[in-house]
Amino acid sequence: MSDEEHHFESKADAGASKTYPQQAGTIRKNGYIVIKGRPCKVVEVSTSKTGKHGHAKCHFIAIDIFTAKKLEDIVPSSHNCDVPHVNRTDYQLIDISEDGFVSLLTENGNTKDDLRLPTDDSLLTQIKDGFAEGKDLVVSVMSAMGEEQICGLKDIGPK
Amino acid sequence: MVKRREEEWQRYYAAWPLKRPVMAKVVSDYFVRLHSHNFAWIHSLHYGVLRAHLYFRPTAPAHSTHHSAVSHLSLAVPSSATTMYQAGYHQNTAPPDMAQLQATMRSIELACSSIQMHANPAAAEATILSLNQSPQPYQACQFILENSELANARFLAAGAIRDAAIREWSFLETDYKKSLIRFCWLFIMKHAGSHEGYVQAKVASVAAQLLKRGWLDFTAADKEAIFLEVKQAVTGSQIVDVQYMGINFLESLVSEFSPSTSTAMGLPREFHEQCRTSLELDYIKEFYCWAQDAALNVSHRIIGSDSAIPEAKVCSAALRLMLQILNWDFKGKKNAVESSKRGLDVYCGDIKPESNFLGRSECILVQPGSLWRDVLISSGQVGWILNLYGALRQKFSCEGYWLDCPLAVSARKLIVQFCSITGTIFPSDGGYMQRQSLVQLLSGIIQWIEPPNAVLKAIECGRSESELLDGCRALMSMAAVSTPLVFDQLLKSLRPYGTLTLLSVLMSEVIKCLMENLSEEETWSWVARDILLDTWTALLTLDSSGHNDLLPPEGISAAANLFAIIVESELKAASASAFSDDNEYDYLHASVSAMDERLSSYALIARVASGATIPFLTTLFSERITRLHQGRGTTDPTETLEELYSLLLIAGHVLADEGQGEIPLVPKDIQAQFTDVVDADKHPVVILSGSIIRFAEQSLDPEMRTSFFSPRLMEAVIWFLARWSSTYLMPPEENKGNKSGENNNDAQVRLEHSKNALLSFFGEYNQGKLVLDIIIRISLTTLVSYPGEKDLQGLTCYQLLHGLVRRKNVISHLVSLDSWRDLANVFANERGLFSLNAAHQRSLAETLALSASGMKTSEASNQYIKSLTNHMTANLAELSCKNDLKHIAQQPDILLLVSCLLERLRGVASASEPRTQKAIYEMGFTVMNPILIFIEAYKHESVVVYLLLKFVVDWVDGQIIYLEARETAAAVDFCTRLLQLYSSHNIGKISVSLSNSLLSEADTERYKDLRALLQLLANLCSKDLVDFASESLEAYGVSISQVVFMGLHIVTPLITLELLKYPKLCHSYFSLLSHMLEIYPEVVAQLNVEAFGHIAETLDFGLHHQDGEVVDLCLRALKALASYHYKEKGMGKVGLGSHATISKDPGGKVQEGVLSRFLCSLLQLLLFEDYSTDLVSSAADALFPLILCEQNVYQNLVNELIERQTNQMFRLRLTNALQSLTNSNNLSTTLDRVNFQRFRKNLHSFLIEVRGFLRTL
Repeated sequence: MSDEEHHFESKADAGASKTYPQQAGTIRKNGYIVIKGRPCKVVEVSTSKTGKHGHAKCHFIAIDIFTAKKLEDIVPSSHNCDVPHVNRTDYQLIDISEDGFVSLLTENGNTKDDLRLPTDDSLLTQIKDGFAEGKDLVVSVMSAMGEEQICGLKDIGPK
Repeated sequence: MVKRREEEWQRYYAAWPLKRPVMAKVVSDYFVRLHSHNFAWIHSLHYGVLRAHLYFRPTAPAHSTHHSAVSHLSLAVPSSATTMYQAGYHQNTAPPDMAQLQATMRSIELACSSIQMHANPAAAEATILSLNQSPQPYQACQFILENSELANARFLAAGAIRDAAIREWSFLETDYKKSLIRFCWLFIMKHAGSHEGYVQAKVASVAAQLLKRGWLDFTAADKEAIFLEVKQAVTGSQIVDVQYMGINFLESLVSEFSPSTSTAMGLPREFHEQCRTSLELDYIKEFYCWAQDAALNVSHRIIGSDSAIPEAKVCSAALRLMLQILNWDFKGKKNAVESSKRGLDVYCGDIKPESNFLGRSECILVQPGSLWRDVLISSGQVGWILNLYGALRQKFSCEGYWLDCPLAVSARKLIVQFCSITGTIFPSDGGYMQRQSLVQLLSGIIQWIEPPNAVLKAIECGRSESELLDGCRALMSMAAVSTPLVFDQLLKSLRPYGTLTLLSVLMSEVIKCLMENLSEEETWSWVARDILLDTWTALLTLDSSGHNDLLPPEGISAAANLFAIIVESELKAASASAFSDDNEYDYLHASVSAMDERLSSYALIARVASGATIPFLTTLFSERITRLHQGRGTTDPTETLEELYSLLLIAGHVLADEGQGEIPLVPKDIQAQFTDVVDADKHPVVILSGSIIRFAEQSLDPEMRTSFFSPRLMEAVIWFLARWSSTYLMPPEENKGNKSGENNNDAQVRLEHSKNALLSFFGEYNQGKLVLDIIIRISLTTLVSYPGEKDLQGLTCYQLLHGLVRRKNVISHLVSLDSWRDLANVFANERGLFSLNAAHQRSLAETLALSASGMKTSEASNQYIKSLTNHMTANLAELSCKNDLKHIAQQPDILLLVSCLLERLRGVASASEPRTQKAIYEMGFTVMNPILIFIEAYKHESVVVYLLLKFVVDWVDGQIIYLEARETAAAVDFCTRLLQLYSSHNIGKISVSLSNSLLSEADTERYKDLRALLQLLANLCSKDLVDFASESLEAYGVSISQVVFMGLHIVTPLITLELLKYPKLCHSYFSLLSHMLEIYPEVVAQLNVEAFGHIAETLDFGLHHQDGEVVDLCLRALKALASYHYKEKGMGKVGLGSHATISKDPGGKVQEGVLSRFLCSLLQLLLFEDYSTDLVSSAADALFPLILCEQNVYQNLVNELIERQTNQMFRLRLTNALQSLTNSNNLSTTLDRVNFQRFRKNLHSFLIEVRGFLRTL
């Protein structure tokens, strides 16, 4: 893994999908990291040494933020790792279409119609029920390395 | 039906022809005794048919009634019995119904066997539990004990007697209590030979517990009567089993009366303490004598016989009891006259009077006091037990005895225990008698350990190691009760050399054994080494009087030899493990901290012989360095590096003590030697320190660094420098000796001289500054040139640098050093150190900020802080103003920058001191707005949010008490906005993830946030307690209490029940809440209905929390609320106003007043639920004002409670108890200290009186 390796994805705009090099020793638990080309959240970091008088290595256990798959990596702690740019944006929910797509209101007044409903059951029912009850719902959309997913929900309706 | 049962019973009885007469006897025996006044129930005894009334009620829970065992049980209880039971309280008056006892027994037996086979265990448990919980199950239990063939059933029956009797003790008749104890005693005597020993042991312990429960009620004559029989059994009986059971009973009795092993009885601690004292004064010595007699009587038979005889069992039990009694924590009558006499006795210094030595291996000093002299010392006990064991040793080859047979084990343990007898039991004869006794013991023990090499050889060939280990323990006990000189003399009368020499040789042999078997899984040599090491520690640590004799010259050379072997073995172990990769990670961490303990014991040994050992270490160290340089580039240095690593650790321990937050002095033993050294630079300590520092300095050279200074070696270097510098680097002037010289003694002067030479060599005006500069440059190197080495950098930040800035005379030089300025500059203005671990950056920032107090003036200090933080705050402010912040904020590089800066600011904030307070306040003030902007921008990035909150928490914590009113207003306003923003982002937020672990992470993050917010509120609260501001806050319209209540109102909705499962969060939440209610009840009264309802609900929740501390906090809050209301009402004010009369639940329904609601639930809790007895006092404090506030409600509750009680007798008791709860002890209606105390007493006795029956029915 070279130190200065940057990834540019052609699908979305360049700024949002970049990854950044960062020294492995500075990546903490709950931080982000790219392992095997996937954006992940670190759930465990431990250090070990190569032999008694060798240098430290970091052992990362991380979870793919989109697929929830567990990935692991071992990197010498003075080397660089790729860190993904994870962005989260809030949109107001306008509509849920029959085929499982949602229609979201962007900041500049356009709609964004290319996101599917989440597969998670509890969130799915909460979105559907809340929408059916006429609540004002805001969904958070997480994007990293050219992928997007609904990751959260908030009711901003009148109390 | 009854008829059929009688027939069954007869058949059953006939099947046991052998037991028949015994049974008839037993049954009649105790029933006659219990009911001697009522013979009407005895119905044709020769048929063996007894009519007993069954007091056993089937109370199986509804869900398991389908089960056969239970239904069988229900069938077994005829309706008449049930009605009898319901009719109330029959104590020993009704005739026992044989058939029902039978049925009960069978149902219990069935339950036992079904539990064993694991068939429907829940129902079986319910059956057994119902026996324990039923009122007065004694007859049924006794019947089971006597008749059941199933040992488990008998075991359970015994437990049930115990449970029921302890519960119902207060209303059992005295005679009945005594008869229960007698029953148990007779039972164990009668069945002494039974094979199911555990049943007998259980019954014995039940008897012991019941005896203890009644200990303060029974008359002396009652106890005498019981103990007469016990004595008969133990000493007079010729039957082995009876003797054995008697001793067993005494064993359980002693362990019941000893506070550490006693069983809980739901009684106050004083009860246990009184029992303990009474037993110690009146009985325990007698018990000891009985056991001793029993052992003496059988010992000659054991010695005389060639093979194992049954008496050995009695003997070993008796020895065990003696050991147990010697383990008793004797408080004695601390005889003032006697102890002052001892104080005058000049020779007493020979024997440590009361050492507070606590080794790792257990060694309890036995100090029974002078009353025991005749039994333990004058009677020749020691000789007898040594003879007994000596005779046993001859028999180890015979059948039935071996090194680890019970008798040998208990005899050895007793001998070891004899070694630790000390205190006033010995006459004040200058320790002569104690020495005599120790010499005698040693003459026996020496055979176990001498000659060491032969003994160890034998163990390696398969002999048991227990004798050796006990020998080592005996040496340790002797060491604990004597000074090094006395200890050494002990052996002189038996051998041409002293005990220290023996100890040294023995330990050397053990260590050699260890070295040879490094990889083997032999544990005995480790154990032996640890015990022997503790022996040295016991000898060499200063006792409480603070003075310690030097060892005799022979002892010193023994210590030096031993240390040489120890170091050799450590180095060998180091080089052998240099390449081992297995669990390297564990070892790395264990290396510095966990080895500490062992190394500090080694250091004690080295220090007594420091004249030899310190030059020895220097030689070893230079040898290794030479080897390193010679082999450079040609051989692999790893083994040498590992040896150097060990040497650094050992040298560090020998030269200096761990400071533990204080400034450690030069170890006394090192000070006391080297009196002949005149030139400071020839001082062995200076030479060793100098060579290590010169070696460390080489790490500054990049080439040397890459070839030799591995991260691990560097860790040892940094550790050594940290430890060494806190003792030797620029020591405070007052540590130096008095130069005026009160003692003009020549040796004293030379001692002072050499000590001062050593101290001033690395002092401020000598080499100190130079060395400090080297240390700082080495630190900078580890931070910059060892990227990613977290452990190393952690040591540098936390131990080395942080230790340096804690010392006033060091920092004044520190801030003037170029190297320190370089470090500050690199940190504040360059990006290089962003690669440090976040926590290390924080600590470094704190360290740098702390060094500001080394500046000469306060202006300079504030200027220093400003220059340190300017760049960072400007960076943050600039970033927060960027238009595209929303887009760039989540870029990883910006994220890293922001979190590093926040960590650093937090570090600076936690270094707040009066001197630098202004600058740090300004630093915080500059970033207030940026922080609010970041909270918005990073609302999805919980890691950053947490950092933001923590910075504010620490900043407020450091600043709040110094702030002027205007500044406080700004800070408080800022905090409120922060809270509101945080709440608006997080309330009603649902985050999802496919991954469970990510979800639970999110929960944890939210928990940490909330905890930080609660801390913030608590920190704000402190402004009301400590305030250095010149004007009052009111002028600015700020009320801290209102702000905090508003904060609570904002935070509370975010705290879910799920989150309250985190104990820390729960504690801080409830402690904040109860603090607020206690201090500001008047503000609570002004809260709106919704906010108040929230608080009331929370208190109600907390009251039923399982954590006692939380309940206690809630009770305190309730006390405060009710007391406030009551006092205000008394003055004709509204108090809690409408909250006290009506309150609304969240559904809008009108409920009764909050105080009466709490009165209800508190009474319910106290009477019917489980809680720790520790809570009763605080519950009383809450209940008392509640009752006063709501007297009508209380009266209604009380009436209802009495109405519900159907049993006349209980009803009467309850009525009386309730009466005296509120009326006895001159309780009046004012809320003052005295009344609270009275009410506490009342409630305690009320609960003891009624809870027993209220909870069971």
